[in-house]
Amino acid sequence: MPTKKPTGTKKNTQETAHHTIKKLEEENTQLHQEIMDKNDKYLRTLADFQNYQKRMEKELQAQKEDIKKKYLLELLDLTELLKKAYEDSDPKSGLKLLLENLDKFLEKEGITYIDCKGKPFNYQLHNAISTIEQSECVDGTILDEIKKGYLVGEKLLRPAHVIVAKKKP
Amino acid sequence: MSKIIGIDLGTTNSEAAYIEAGKPVVIKSVEGQPYFPSVVAFTKTGEMLVGEAAKRQAVTNTEGTVQRIKRKMGTNEKVNLRGKTYTPQQISAFILQKIKKDAEDFLGEKITDAVITVPAYFNDDQRQATKDAGAIAGFNVKRIINEPTAAALAYGLDKEGDQKIAVYDFGGGTLDVTIMEVGGGVFEVLSTSGDTQLGGSDMDQALVDYIAEEFKKRHGVDLRKEPKTLQRVLEAVETAKIELSSTLQTDINLPYIYVVTGEPKHLEIKLTRTKLEEIISPIVQRSEKPCRQALQDAKLKPEDIDHVVLVGGVTRMQMVQKKVEEIFRQKPKREVDPMECVAIGAAIQAGVLSGEIDKDIVLLDVTPLTLSIETLGGVATPLIDRNTTVPTRKSKVFSTAADNQTSVEINVLQGERPMAADNKSLGRFHLDGILPAPRGLPQIEVTFDIDVNGIMNVSAKDLGTGKEQSIRITGSTKLSDSEIERMRKEAKEHEDEDKKRKEKIEIRNTADSLVHSTEKTLDELKDKFSSEDKENLEKALKELREALTGDDTDKIKENSDKLTQELQKASTKIYQQAAQHYQQQPGQGTEQGDAWQGHPSDDDSTINADYKVKGEKKKKKDEDTE
Repeated sequence: MPTKKPTGTKKNTQETAHHTIKKLEEENTQLHQEIMDKNDKYLRTLADFQNYQKRMEKELQAQKEDIKKKYLLELLDLTELLKKAYEDSDPKSGLKLLLENLDKFLEKEGITYIDCKGKPFNYQLHNAISTIEQSECVDGTILDEIKKGYLVGEKLLRPAHVIVAKKKP
Repeated sequence: MSKIIGIDLGTTNSEAAYIEAGKPVVIKSVEGQPYFPSVVAFTKTGEMLVGEAAKRQAVTNTEGTVQRIKRKMGTNEKVNLRGKTYTPQQISAFILQKIKKDAEDFLGEKITDAVITVPAYFNDDQRQATKDAGAIAGFNVKRIINEPTAAALAYGLDKEGDQKIAVYDFGGGTLDVTIMEVGGGVFEVLSTSGDTQLGGSDMDQALVDYIAEEFKKRHGVDLRKEPKTLQRVLEAVETAKIELSSTLQTDINLPYIYVVTGEPKHLEIKLTRTKLEEIISPIVQRSEKPCRQALQDAKLKPEDIDHVVLVGGVTRMQMVQKKVEEIFRQKPKREVDPMECVAIGAAIQAGVLSGEIDKDIVLLDVTPLTLSIETLGGVATPLIDRNTTVPTRKSKVFSTAADNQTSVEINVLQGERPMAADNKSLGRFHLDGILPAPRGLPQIEVTFDIDVNGIMNVSAKDLGTGKEQSIRITGSTKLSDSEIERMRKEAKEHEDEDKKRKEKIEIRNTADSLVHSTEKTLDELKDKFSSEDKENLEKALKELREALTGDDTDKIKENSDKLTQELQKASTKIYQQAAQHYQQQPGQGTEQGDAWQGHPSDDDSTINADYKVKGEKKKKKDEDTE
């Protein structure tokens, strides 16, 4: 049975409810806006990243081309000069200068030769192709160099290919 | 979620890959190679070596080195290295550990999860052993998958409905043939076959034999006897093989290969593709039987196979591809690097497991054509390049082209052509109320902002007064493919003439601003120049002004150069004088001077791209017709 008593309270409750709804609505609008903003920011960051990737790819490609060009030019000079030396009846002196220039170029690029003959084998610098068993030797000494090895700066460009002594048991 | 890497744990070499931004990337070892030799060694001093280093010292340390451990996986065999025994799992774990460490270096983050591949014929014991190896190495092995399955995944064959797939894996030392059925993303192995004693090294050997025999015939020396010469022949064979996959003939030249009785001998042999194929033919032929066997075991005919996938370095050779085509009566797939195929497939599986691949990928639009504004002389100055992902925003600061210019017109253009008139105008508007000022002084920032739906907002703001105007352009990213194609084609066709025209305008614009800046300089420094210099400058200036009224670009250029020279000559004198007086005080403001020189460029910094003055174009036309 409904009574008249709660009317006041009812009105109060209604007002409170109305107030709460309004507050929630406002909050909802605000949150909605916030999500929109965040989403926009997220999409923009994503697009920025993708554009960055594209730019990087292009730049890397350009860099590769530049490096290639640099070495191709050196190679062209060398080819031209070698051709001249080939035409020369006595190419020795010309070849000597050519080699000197090449050595200078390599030196400038930080290339050093790995001197290995007679030294102990070191996996960081040498690649063992085979071993030779001997009774009179220091085990693990490099007997012969099959292919020269080089460093660029501190880094290994190509290990020296070597033959290593193995002491006969 | 952290990254999961995919590992192809191979008999001679192992590879690893992961997924970055949806694409597979192959991990490089610390030594800089895209693979890891599956070699483990303990040196005399007890140091453990894995990969490249272990391989290099293998022959000097046979008792301390182990290779091809994969063949022992799942057996009870143990390996004895320097007085300690190891299970095959432990040895494999050392390889995996090396991969883990190098991958962490490569990626710059901790890696704990992995997908590892095994041959399709591996039994439960062998699979468990591989899983154990992963665990010993500190991996949380998310899944063990078959190598041929990984190869098929690398080609995305799991997404093409019910298929029957043949995988032909011809590596350095073994041949594996697998027939599989895929449906609903599940792979089922129908049959496997192969030859564990057949591989690319057999081909190399046959080729070395041929070349050595040829040399022996001519010079009576066997190049195989000397490690030094054998090494060079081996390398030459490797190069020739690669060369002959694209050419029909190659020269094998090895100068100074041998000294016979004091006389140096060179190796010079022509090798044709036909000869190469004749030499390797018996080896390629031997791969047919396992293929037929696999088909028979799967109860299938070659016609039943929907796709053939090639794996392994040997499959790079045309003859091998032809053989496969002949057996399965269809062109095999070989777009993915056959050496990296399995690792990439494992990475894709890993990517699916980590959610890297199947997560809701946000697909963003790109601008199909370049978006620009029209600047002085009718040039289109790009703000947003073609193929830029949206949403994006780009601003550039421009200036006025004439003194006391109070209004600029912003003409928004779309297209690849350098001249505004050849592009499509998307809209135009004016920004008025610029305060009267010398040209180049007002700073007007133009901003292109494209939102995720391709709606572009173009605004121009006078940075001095804060006054702003803008328009909205819809559909800047929505063009029909044919329209985009047409515009790109046009741009390509007109590339040369457009370039010339743009150059012409640029020369004119440069000359124009040179006239202006010279006038200004003359006015400001009239007391500093000698009367002789002043006279020369004024003369050159007059000539350039005259040239500018005409249309002879060469003449404009010539006169511009002349004026520049005069200007340099005169100013050098001033600076020399100044230097004598103020040696300790370097000139200031040079930077700004540079910034305002020149004309619209792609530079992102503030540039001096002058707007065309309203009505200027018309005026010029009038002059031209005069």
